[in-house]
Amino acid sequence: MATAAGGGRRPYEGRWEGLWLLGPLLLFLAALLGFPAVANLVYSLSEVRFTGLWSPRWVGLDNYRAVLADPAFWGAVGFSARFAVVVTAAQLVLGFALVLALDPLIAKRRWLMAFLLLPMMVSPALLGVMYRLMLNDFVGVIPQYLQMVGFSDNLLGVDWAFTTVAAIEVLQWTPFAFLALLTAYQAIPGELVEAARIDGAGSWAVFRRITLPLMVPALAITGFIRFIDSFRVFDHIYVLTGGGPGTLTQSLSIYIYRTFFQQERIGPAVAASMLLLLASVVLLRLLMAQMLKGSRR
Amino acid sequence: MRAMLRKTLLAGLALPVLLGSAAAMAGEVTLLFWPGPESEAMQKAIDAYNAGPGKADGVTVKQLLFSRQGYFEKEQADLAAGSGEFDLALVTTYTLGRYAPYLEAIDAQVPAEARSAFAPVALQSLTLDGKLYGVPTDISLHFLYYRKDLVDRLLSDPEWQKRYAEIAKAKLGREMQPKAPGDWTWDDWIVAALFFSAADNPDSPTRFGTVLQMKNLIFNVMLWQATLVSNGGDWLVDGKPAIDSPAGRTGLQVYKTLIDAKATPPGSISYEYAEANAAFQAGQAATMLQWNAAYNELNDPAKSPAVAGKIGLAPLPAGSAGHKTHVHSLGIGLNKASRAKGDAGKFLAWLAGRDALTVYAEAGGSPPVPAILQAMAAARPEFPLVGDFANRYGFVVTGGTAAYAVPVYEVLAEKFSAFWAGQIDLDTALKQAAQGMAERIKG
Repeated sequence: MATAAGGGRRPYEGRWEGLWLLGPLLLFLAALLGFPAVANLVYSLSEVRFTGLWSPRWVGLDNYRAVLADPAFWGAVGFSARFAVVVTAAQLVLGFALVLALDPLIAKRRWLMAFLLLPMMVSPALLGVMYRLMLNDFVGVIPQYLQMVGFSDNLLGVDWAFTTVAAIEVLQWTPFAFLALLTAYQAIPGELVEAARIDGAGSWAVFRRITLPLMVPALAITGFIRFIDSFRVFDHIYVLTGGGPGTLTQSLSIYIYRTFFQQERIGPAVAASMLLLLASVVLLRLLMAQMLKGSRR
Repeated sequence: MRAMLRKTLLAGLALPVLLGSAAAMAGEVTLLFWPGPESEAMQKAIDAYNAGPGKADGVTVKQLLFSRQGYFEKEQADLAAGSGEFDLALVTTYTLGRYAPYLEAIDAQVPAEARSAFAPVALQSLTLDGKLYGVPTDISLHFLYYRKDLVDRLLSDPEWQKRYAEIAKAKLGREMQPKAPGDWTWDDWIVAALFFSAADNPDSPTRFGTVLQMKNLIFNVMLWQATLVSNGGDWLVDGKPAIDSPAGRTGLQVYKTLIDAKATPPGSISYEYAEANAAFQAGQAATMLQWNAAYNELNDPAKSPAVAGKIGLAPLPAGSAGHKTHVHSLGIGLNKASRAKGDAGKFLAWLAGRDALTVYAEAGGSPPVPAILQAMAAARPEFPLVGDFANRYGFVVTGGTAAYAVPVYEVLAEKFSAFWAGQIDLDTALKQAAQGMAERIKG
């Protein structure tokens, strides 16, 4: 058996080879991920200041307790979760709608893709600066047009700040969802659709019974990637509102940045980031389990 | 024989490396700075030094530029790591306390004679625990910007004065007459802002009487805190937070009155420097509390055709303690981990002198030396006022150079922005601000 499967080599030989091949990657991961992770763990359990980075004082779980008891932390978690759910849903719906609408066009004119993907190429911080200008009450084009139709509220004020920063995120990252979903959509075998049509299925039935079920894995993966990315949103919100008014648009990343650099509470900031990491790992684990279950079926 | 040959070859290889690095090190001083107008002006000063006094000192200075984005965090990380890759570094009033443990005090490099030329408040703004940590190279403070054409008419037109008095009576409950902006109290400014707002005066030539900066941002608190100090308040009294005080209450209420009355654009809650300038530039705001740096651009006919030539400057309105303005400085400090402190000190001593700072001012800097600023009046009409206001009205809040300065600014920005936006009430804002301050100060 071993001969047939291993081409004449014993199983342990392949194992050593595998370890040798994995070695550089493991070293790379240990250096780039392992060390910072350990350092962060130590800092999250210590009282440490910029003036004493080399001499952290052990405080056990105090930083975690402080973070979990901080209403601003929960406010930031709430904002990030709400933001991520809203923008992910919007991006998936819009991205999928664009796929359905533009697929025939893109099949003939591939160069259109470049234009559709442009927003994704702009740095989020730069996008924030662009929108600061475009949303300005006096020189911005958006308020000018809105005033023409009788809308005079400020789009970064209390009532609209969430909607505005979410809309900007959706505009920037819908192309990503579009790209990922388009690839999956184009991989759907044409003969399935053809067979369904021969059997008399209409467009809606084809979409509901064939397209949508086959797109579910792609929608799940894209949704997951966009959720994680949106949950840790920072740049354009920080540039546009600074997390305000008050803490109305303070995401978890802004909370961590502020706690670390502006409040100089390094321990609690690192503890908050460890909690974020933990939540991501749990979420990733759950998703991977679901995906593996799906692939076994 | 072979061993000897090998040693000779190795020595031959090593010599140029050693000589090269020694040559590179000897007399070379590196200044860590950020790119922009300040570093461009500083380069002119450095060129002047390298071409003149530097030769006699045997010192050559060069700049190392980090990007502005996150500059202070990067500099702090490098200083804290004990980096000797740079000898001098940019320091500021509000980050001084964080940097000070990694900086060398420079009292020896800036003797009393050199100090006497500076505005005292500028030296105070880079002093911590009685030690000077930076040569102040740029000063920032605030002006009341106002539309001269409109205020002149208000002071001479009986119809406008009648309407002004009606607004004062209706909004503040007392008889008031317009005054020259240099004599304004906060109440005078409020009434003027209401008068020049379409919400209270449909005939106003501007949509808004003023434009406030209320974004959750530490620099906006620096601008606001003149309302606190001019009413006799401060951050700390006897080492304890004193923000929850009648002065703090009055100061916060000044801004709140104006935004609630729509005398400032509703978007002010997300405004900072650039947005406020845009409103004033567009001719849509009659007054503005703003940093001195804005004047050059606002008074440039090419950049601001609607308002250039029509701008008046005055001290910020007065409270019970008179006119006040926050002052902070940028300066150059000496890295404690520098391997060339002696050489770097020579450059610093030169930089603190009149020749160096004159070159710096002519290249676009604003050094806090009143005599130099006065001499620049033809090119920069606002400069003499910068020197004058720094001397007469300038303050640094108690604790403004301490290690907790930025954390305190941050908590004030968050709570005050929330109050102005209507998220929390005044009592809550002051209580939470005082509590946050105490936590930040305690560390």
